[in-house]
Parts: sequence; structure tokens; C-alpha cells
Amino acid sequence: MMPQKKTQDVVLTAVWGDNPVFRQILGICSALAVTNLVLNTVVMGAAVIFTTALSGLTVSLLRKWTPRVIRMMIEVLIIAFYVILFDQALKAYWPDMSRNLGPYVGLIITNCIIMGRAEAFANANPPLLSFVDGFFSGLGYTIVLCCVAVVRELFGMGSLLGMPVPFFSSVLWDRWIIMVMPPGAFFTLALIVWLARTIQVDREPKKGGVT
Amino acid sequence: MDVRDKAWYPILYMFVITLCLSTVLILFGSITRQRVKDNERIAYERAVIEALPIDLPRRVSPAQIHKLFIRSVHDATVSSAGALRYIKGDSLIAYALPLEGPGFWAAIKGVIGIAADTRTITGISFYEQNETPGLGGEIVKSEFTAQFVGKRISETSNPVEIRAVSADLDEASVHAITGATQTSTRLGKFMNEQLARWREQVTRER
Repeated sequence: MMPQKKTQDVVLTAVWGDNPVFRQILGICSALAVTNLVLNTVVMGAAVIFTTALSGLTVSLLRKWTPRVIRMMIEVLIIAFYVILFDQALKAYWPDMSRNLGPYVGLIITNCIIMGRAEAFANANPPLLSFVDGFFSGLGYTIVLCCVAVVRELFGMGSLLGMPVPFFSSVLWDRWIIMVMPPGAFFTLALIVWLARTIQVDREPKKGGVT
Repeated sequence: MDVRDKAWYPILYMFVITLCLSTVLILFGSITRQRVKDNERIAYERAVIEALPIDLPRRVSPAQIHKLFIRSVHDATVSSAGALRYIKGDSLIAYALPLEGPGFWAAIKGVIGIAADTRTITGISFYEQNETPGLGGEIVKSEFTAQFVGKRISETSNPVEIRAVSADLDEASVHAITGATQTSTRLGKFMNEQLARWREQVTRER
């Protein structure tokens, strides 16, 4: 990773070029677990954006004083701090959502995207740029998860954001139970990765072709 | 020699960072603690009210739920065998029996309402569960819970049976949730154990 990058490059790389989910295949565990309802996915995405952005900022601010030998401990500590903060806020101000997401908010601590960005980017880049990188990496993750969630909720439950969708919620549509269960996430995610990678491969030769 | 190369520096650094972050968390935790507790309490009170034959407006504030609970729901006595009592005027209308047991992923906690005849179910409501959304999680939806209203607890066999969707129903059985066999089975198991125990105790006391 180059030490200095333009903000625009950082944004594009994070959301599309090196999208954490379909390019780096990171954070898959939560992508499978929380994507059967769109609303849950959106809140989960917000939690990840919050954590990647702020932990990127904090790791970058401290990078000059952090001893290299314990840098990963410090990173995990910072990540855990933001995740617990979000989890507590959710428990206090949106208890229904906190109940829906159950243990998954806490598990963001082990989401490899966040640790990955802290290690690969925030450690070597200025604070603001690290914040931007974290924010858009989180956004890239959220967008892919939302795509998966829309497919799963629509086919599996006939609704979107909890609201019934015409046709899909009627008797004409036999709800695909498998979409609600974990295998549905595997199929959907694989299709989305396939689609995104196909588009990327088509474009890459023009830029000079990197695989 | 730079201070950062000293052997004690990483230890001190880790200590200071941990101290700072923990302080913020503890402060935030103490600010929100009461709120979190209140939320849990309201969720429980709401479940009790939903299980009882009380009309709850569609949009109701936590304060209203609490007021309603305090006014109508009374503590358990020996003769109610551990169930809360819903009293209107001077007469006992129904019992609310808290249920708790293992689900598929985590504990399920709920409340079942039973009319004063100790046989007719007035409703069931769950206030804590972590079942798979869309599958086991459907136990909180009215499609499932509404089935219980008006059912009669069987006097001899399992109080309320949860049967497969293809099975016929009688006055003491409801349909399970498709695709959530584990949740349905486990819920049925602990609900029936606890209801059977209550049925026995309340009959003895009366």
C-alpha cells in the first residue's frame, strides 16, 4: 500500500475496486448471518461503518506512538471499544433492534474487514484519509450485504423492510424457505460476487489489467 | 535511546490506552444503565399485558404500558401457583404465567395468559428470544401467537400441543412453524412442562 493516496482513489478502491466482500472475501460470517431482513442488515452495516471509520481514525492518530510489537493488541482494543459503544447505545435507545441483532453486533469486533483496514491502511496513512478509507470500506460492505438482504427477504418472506411486496406476498408466490436459512445467503452472495467480478474483469484490461 | 525502545514502554502504553478507553465505556455504561434496565422491564410488562385479555392500542408509549401494568396486574399468590393475576374491579379475570426455557440458539422467555377458569388460554407473548429471524423468530409474530387464543388446556395429556403444519388441530393444539422444527419442539417441551406443573399446582390449591 502506498503511503499517500488521493481521497477519490481511496473511496473508489474501498467501495468497488477492492470491495471487502466481493473482492477481498472478508466479513463473510456476518454477511451470512444478518442478511435475511433488510432492516437488520442496514443497522448492522451502520455499526460496521461506525467502527471501521472511527477505529481507522484512532489507529492512525496513535500510529506514531504505538510500539510495533503490540500494535495488533492496541487495534483490537480500539475496535472493541467502538463496537461496545455502539452495542450499548443500541441497547439503551433501540432495544427492539438490539434484540433482533442479538450477538452479531458484538461479533463485529472479530470482523476481519475492520482489523484488515487498521493493519493495511490506518497504520501507514494520515488520520483523515484513514477515516475516509474506513468509512467507505464499511459502506462497500454494507452495499453488498444490502443486495444480499433484498434478494433474501423478497424471495424468502415476500417483503422488503418488513412491508409486504405485491405479488411476492400473495398466494401466487411460494416463499422460498431456503432463502431465509443460511444456504440462501451462500447462493445469493456467490451470485453477487460472480456478477461483480464479471463486470470488473470486463473493465480491467482497459486499465492495464491486474488480476 | 528513544523512550519507545525501552522494555517498559509497551506495557505502560497498553495500560494507558486501556485505562482511557475503559473509562469512557464505564461512563457511557453508567449513563445508559438505567435506560437499559427500564427497556427490559417494559418489554416484560408488555408481554404480560399482551398475553392477558387487555386491549393494547397499536401505538403505546412505555409509560402507558407501565401504568397499565401497575394498575391491572397483581403479584403471584399461593393460590395462583406462581402466575401473576389480572384483576379488574374485584374479580380475577386471568392468570399470566411466565415461561422460560431453551430455544434453538438461546433462551426463550415469554408469558402465557390463562383465564380464571384455569383452562382457556387468553394469549401468549415472547419478550426475549434469539431464534433465526424469519424461521424460529416467527414465534413472536401474531400468525403464530394468535393461534393460542381461545385454546383449552387439556386436563390429562400435554396442556397445549404444537403439531406439524400438516396435522389436524383440536381445542388443545396449535400449528408449529414451517422450517423451524427445532424451535417449535423445544418451545413445546418447556412450555408443556411448565404448564403441566402449573395445572397440577393450581388444581391442588383451589
